[in-house]
Amino acid sequence: MESTPWDPEGVTVALDPRGRLAIGHSAPGLDLKVLYRALVAGRCLDLRASRANVVHWTSAAGEEAALMAPALVARTGDWIFPGLRDAAVALARGMEYDVIAAALRGGRGFGDANLRLGPSTDALGMPLPIAAGLAHAQKLREPGDITFVLFGEGLTTTGVFHETTMHAVHADLPLVFVCRSQLWPFGAPAEAGQVGDSVSERATSCGMWVRRVDGADPIGVYNAVAAAAQRAREGKGPSLVEVVVTRLREDTPAHRDPIERLRLHLDATGVWTQHFHETVETEILRHLDEAFAAEVPS
Amino acid sequence: MILLERLAEVVAELLADDERRVLLGEDVRDGGMLGLSRVAASDERFASRLLGAPLCPATGLAHAAGLALGGALPIVLLPSVGALLEGLAGLREAALLHWRLDVPVPLLVVAPCGPGFGLGGDVVDDPEATLARIPFLRVLALGSVAEGPALLRAAAAPGELATVLLLPRRLCLAEFDAAHEDASLTHAVGAAVTVRDGTRATVFTWGECVELCREAIERSDLDVALVNLEGLAPLPHDRLLELAQATGKLVIVHSGPRDHGLGAELAARFGDEAVLHLDAPILRVTGRPGPYLPEHESDALPELASILAAIHRVVHD
Repeated sequence: MESTPWDPEGVTVALDPRGRLAIGHSAPGLDLKVLYRALVAGRCLDLRASRANVVHWTSAAGEEAALMAPALVARTGDWIFPGLRDAAVALARGMEYDVIAAALRGGRGFGDANLRLGPSTDALGMPLPIAAGLAHAQKLREPGDITFVLFGEGLTTTGVFHETTMHAVHADLPLVFVCRSQLWPFGAPAEAGQVGDSVSERATSCGMWVRRVDGADPIGVYNAVAAAAQRAREGKGPSLVEVVVTRLREDTPAHRDPIERLRLHLDATGVWTQHFHETVETEILRHLDEAFAAEVPS
Repeated sequence: MILLERLAEVVAELLADDERRVLLGEDVRDGGMLGLSRVAASDERFASRLLGAPLCPATGLAHAAGLALGGALPIVLLPSVGALLEGLAGLREAALLHWRLDVPVPLLVVAPCGPGFGLGGDVVDDPEATLARIPFLRVLALGSVAEGPALLRAAAAPGELATVLLLPRRLCLAEFDAAHEDASLTHAVGAAVTVRDGTRATVFTWGECVELCREAIERSDLDVALVNLEGLAPLPHDRLLELAQATGKLVIVHSGPRDHGLGAELAARFGDEAVLHLDAPILRVTGRPGPYLPEHESDALPELASILAAIHRVVHD
């Protein structure tokens, strides 16, 4: 398959656009059906929230691998700091459907100390240093536990991002930055804050361990996040995984959809069936419909 | 020994008392910008808990909040309240963690304020009003040299709310008499403290102005009560109203500019809820508006003569 303007450059590919594992790549310790289910759950939640007229909602369809990989890699003792729109992470972390629906419609956001989900904040970028502080406490008090912080590439133009990465590297914190970079096939606008460089290059320049992967390749994303997490658990310090994502609400080629790419792979290996897909989707949609119906104001 | 030196000993005692405590700040491993970690830095036991960090105020304060969320008891040693103003975004997030997650935020931020070092500029500011309106932030101001160690210990006790302790520089530099140290506070931390009783009028103040007001009252030769607020946020409203109603003649004294200051909030509250007990207009005596030149940084303080004149006016007019 020929490369299109939608295919990112400089990424490590595990699952190619036809759904084939690249030579030398595998998915050790990963149940691909669990990954598939998580991605579908994230997509269903995204579509349901889009239909529910949630204020300020912007679809994250196409970004599921970057959201779900940290949630699948994280252990009970770990913390995850999701972004404002990252409801799918809360779902994967075990938050009840009705609590998620309520949080999307108002309230104080997805933060939950029991689920070890960091709070969303109004102030741009503030989850980054809070997550770094939490990782610092883990390093001092609970070695082996780690923290993930999820954000978009727009934040990397802020001082808070650079101050936090510098501090994390200096203090060797068990912190995994997961940055979703939007793909700009026809050139980035000024708002993207990029001048020909990439987020991973910025993080590399301060001495961070970095991997740049394709958000349409869910196995590649999972493997990179799992490797970063392993380093953090072993006391080797912070890392940044840059996931280049394609927003599917734009008119994008099918191979840019991480769910479709994984489906091709599972189909070719005899794991995927229409029945399996429908079972997964029906169950999630039923929960979502109940949760959102309960929340409609009378 | 000056108060700062004694407080440096208390900081080390706090680290010894609870191994969850950590110190954050620029140069904390070398004693800190103010010398508050000097004693701790000389003790090998605390080396892993002195977290040196560059002076990035917003990021640093949010980092400290994360430490508190993760089970540590962070004490942030700032060189100046100027860093709090620069770090407002981080301070707000630190305070709001309590609301967002329904968890305690046992974070203490210690910052010197007001004139005393001849620095002028923002660092002389008394930003109580800016800090006091941050939701879920506790703001305390030291008003007595003798109480310094006890107030620092009380402020550092693990609590529900993120806390800022303001240390007026003039008090930090004052001679500290260990023989007269208050072993512990005789009041609940942050409760308005009656420094002296009186029947003719009541002066409300805090911080470095407490001593100024005491001197003014003594010079006035009038039987005037003096109240040290200590807790600037949340304000102990019921207690303050009770104290205001007792004499009905009120003077509010604070450093920094008069407009939009915390004194305006107090006066408005007394006007709303104690108006039937008031026998005179509520007077405010404050510093001049900033910014402050280094050579004129004491402009931030109210003048003794003005406090004295206000006491006479409220009692006699």
